[in-house]
Order: sequence, then C-alpha cells, then structure tokens
Amino acid sequence: MDFLVYLEQSQFSIWVRESGSLFAFPGILLLHTYGMAVLVGIVLAIDLRILGFAPGLPLAPIGKFLPLLWVAFWINAATGTILLIADATTKMTNPDFFIKMGFIFLAVIVQRKIQSGVFRAPQIGAGALPPNAKILAVVSMTCWLGAITAGRLLAYVGPVSGLNLK
Amino acid sequence: MVELLSNSSHLHVLLNHVPTIGFGLALAMFLVALARNNDGLKRTGLALFFVVATVAIATYVTGNGAESVIKGRPDVSQTAIRAHEDAALLAFTFMEVTGFFAWLALWQWRRVPRLAGWNVPVVLILAVASFLLMAKAATLGGEITHAEIRSAAEAIELGHQAFDRDARYYDLDPQKLLEGDALEPLLPDFKVQKAQDLFEAIGYGKVATRRVLARLVPGQAFREKLASDAAAVEPSGTARAIGLFVSGQTWVWPTCETLHFVGLCMLFTVVLIVDLRMLGMIKSVSFEAVYQLLPIGMLGFGINLVTGMLFFIGVPGQYVHNGTFFFKIVFVLLGGLNVLYFTLDDEPWAVKAGQDAPLTAKIAAASAIFVWVAVLFCGHMLPFIGNAF
Repeated sequence: MDFLVYLEQSQFSIWVRESGSLFAFPGILLLHTYGMAVLVGIVLAIDLRILGFAPGLPLAPIGKFLPLLWVAFWINAATGTILLIADATTKMTNPDFFIKMGFIFLAVIVQRKIQSGVFRAPQIGAGALPPNAKILAVVSMTCWLGAITAGRLLAYVGPVSGLNLK
Repeated sequence: MVELLSNSSHLHVLLNHVPTIGFGLALAMFLVALARNNDGLKRTGLALFFVVATVAIATYVTGNGAESVIKGRPDVSQTAIRAHEDAALLAFTFMEVTGFFAWLALWQWRRVPRLAGWNVPVVLILAVASFLLMAKAATLGGEITHAEIRSAAEAIELGHQAFDRDARYYDLDPQKLLEGDALEPLLPDFKVQKAQDLFEAIGYGKVATRRVLARLVPGQAFREKLASDAAAVEPSGTARAIGLFVSGQTWVWPTCETLHFVGLCMLFTVVLIVDLRMLGMIKSVSFEAVYQLLPIGMLGFGINLVTGMLFFIGVPGQYVHNGTFFFKIVFVLLGGLNVLYFTLDDEPWAVKAGQDAPLTAKIAAASAIFVWVAVLFCGHMLPFIGNAF
C-alpha cells in the first residue's frame, strides 16, 4: 500500500491527475480509446471472419493487420499503466480491475493461439481452418467484450476515484 | 461562425423541413420507380432515404437546443413542445430504421444484381409510416410559435397579452395593476428604461410575468402561491419518460456506455480494413471481398446511434450548448455520406484483387479514416473541451 501511495503521489501522477492539461488525463485516455478501437476492431474482424461472416474475404491477407493490432495493444498497455499509476490506490483495491486484467490476459493467450493455429497453419492459403478455430474466435470475442465491460465499469463499481469521469 | 452555426435554434428552423420534404420526395421517387420498374430511380430513392435519415439525426438533436431557447416564453406552450418532441422521437425512430433497411437494400444489390425481394415491401411500409409520423411531428412543431424570430412590435403586443392573461389567472385586474405609473419603480430592477421595454422583454421570454406580478402585488401569501406554481412539474411526455429512465436508473447509463464502446470497435473494424485496403494495404484482396464487412460497421453505427440518442434524451442539457457535440454530429453526417460513396459508386467496385484503387477512392478512404477518428475525438472530448458532465 505504501508503494501505491508513493506512485500516486509522484510528480508525474499529480500532473496526470491535476494539471488540467489536455495532454494529461484527457489525452492519455484518448490514446487508450483509439488503441481499443484499433485492437478490438481488428480482433472482431478476424473472429467474425473465422465464424463464417464475410466468406468472400480471404483470411490470409488479414494477417497483415496483426502488427497493427499489437502496436495498438502496446499503446494501451503503456497508457493503461500511466492511468493505473495515477490512480494506484483506488484501482489496485478494486476487484473489477483484476477482472479486467484477467480478461485481457486470457484474450492475449487466445490471440497468440489464433495466430499460431490459424494464421501460421499451412492450410490457411487454401482457406481451410483448424477444427478449434471457431471456439478460439468465440472465446476471443467474449474476453475482449468482457475487458471493455469491466473497464467501463471501473468508473462505477468498487472504490471510484475522482479521476474517473463518467 | 461556429457560434452562429451551433445555435441550435437557428439550425433547427433550418433543418426541420428536411425530413418531411426529403422523405416525401424519396417516397414519390421510389413509388414511381417501382411502377415503372426503373432500377436507377429505385437506387436513387433508396439513397435519398438514407441521406435524409442521416440529416434527421441533426434535425432531432438541434430540437432540444431550440427548446431551451424558447421555453419559458409566455406565448410558448410546454404542452405543445412535449407533444412535438414525442411525435418527433417516434417519427425519427421509424426514419432511422427505414434508412438502415434502405442502405441494406443498396448493399445487397451489389452482391445480387437485383433488388432483394423482401426488401421492397419492408422499405416501402417503413417509409410510408415514417413520412406520416414525420408530417404529424412537423405539424405539431409548427404549432410552437417561432418566438425567436418575431419583431419588437410583436413582442410588445405578446408581452401585454401574456401579462393580462396571467393577471386574470390570479383573479387580478390587469388595468388596475398598471394604473398610474405603477411599473415605473420596478423598471431599474428589470434593467429596462420604459414600461414598453418591459413588455418587449416579456414577449421575448426574457422576463417571466410571474416576477413582475410578484413585485406589483403586495402580500406574502400571493408570493408563496406564485412560487409554488413556478415549481410545479412540467407536462410530461414519452421522450421525458425515456430520459428519466436513462438518467435515473443506475445501470442504464454504464450499460449504454459499454455498448457504445463495442459499437465503435465494430465501426472501426470496417474503417481499418476497407479503407486501408483502398489505400493499398492488402492489395491482394478485391474491393468486392472487403465490401462484405460493411454491415458489421453499419450494425456498430446502429448500436451507437441508439445508445447515443439515449444519452442525449437522458441529459440533453449537457449536449445542446456544447460546441464539441456540434462538431461530432457534423462529422457523423460526413461519415454517412462517405458510406454512401462506397455503397453506390461503381468506381471502388472496379478494384479487383491485386489492383491499385483510383485516386477518388483513395481520397474517400482517407477521409473516412479522418472523419471517424474525428468523431471519436469529439465524443471523447465532450467533458474536457465541451461542457458535458
């Protein structure tokens, strides 16, 4: 707890929370939102395609979007860390925050499995999918939607700080 | 310029004929096209349904701004405003559903080279219902007088009428109240020079007759009666009931916010893959193939329109005089036009696997990315740059 207080009271955290600059809290949260749009946007396209939507669209070329997906992921990891540090004592004591992290952890594992099992499988060029692909797609979508829901609810459930603007 | 344009009152007067006239025109066009079996005209009618449904978003949201400007004026009836708002909300809902199905018909048309059988009656029935409901909303809207554009002479006349009416409501004789120079000592309090200016202010709705009466009539009992009348509940309506549900139930707002986020991710799916293909990212795929993703984006847009409208109806006050919200709506309308380009125009359709897109398609794709990034920016900044929450 002392460490959380130390983080929260650092010059940087205070700037993020209290400077009122558009580049502080509003800007960092904006980047987090853009990151989410790109990350979950590409994930949804891949998952829905695996589930049989847009059958005319070949899956293999969509693999070119994977680096973009990971760039968005790391932007959100970085901005998420800043938002966590600035509000450490409230976030780290909120069970909902750990639910969000749990969903993201699972989603990342599933994403890696989709990449190795679907995109790097030799049959992808022929348009064929491994048998577990659809299950992975459903789990992936569920986890990301769960992460978004838990993330949004951070402003409403458990200890809520003044930082969370509804 | 932005100040002037974002004055919802002016904008509402400017935009309020578009849904009725536009839908009437589109409906006439669609009927003629069906009678003559003219495919080009059918397509134009469907596109017009979609465009008018998009503009109707702006018409609806400027309505609350117009209301906040004129309400409280003695000649404007709260009941008339509520009746117009409820009729407009119902008509708006039908219009958006019609617009969605019209777009779906256009989308399917590309894949199957004729209009899908079930789509014609669905669009037709919805369009007729929307047009009739919108005509009713427009008539009810016309019954709310345009107080904001009347002349000073009219305002003075209305001010007198309102004063007389309200005095009689409290069993007072307006002639007797104004005998001699009874108003003279009150004028500085209302920051006017002459009695005539005070009536003008009443006519424009800047001064409530209640306040003038309170000063003219002595006695605590009368003052308390006026105060309790002022606090009386405004006439209710469907839109207000929905608004209270959204802002009153603790779970509704967070649920809508979460869905709004999911909707924006669905929209971005299309923005990223379709538009980046046009810009050359996955050239091995034809436009025809990425085009199949469009309904995901439209569904996401639909989710966000519904949840967004619920936010707006829930707490209109934080959006109507918010410049950031004004820009968000402008960008949403541009986004609507952009979707229409990719649905209707033959040019992107000619882009086969391995081919580079023509310059116009590239410009349209780049502008789509810009527009939706801007929509997201404005939405995010509503509480930070704008004055929401």
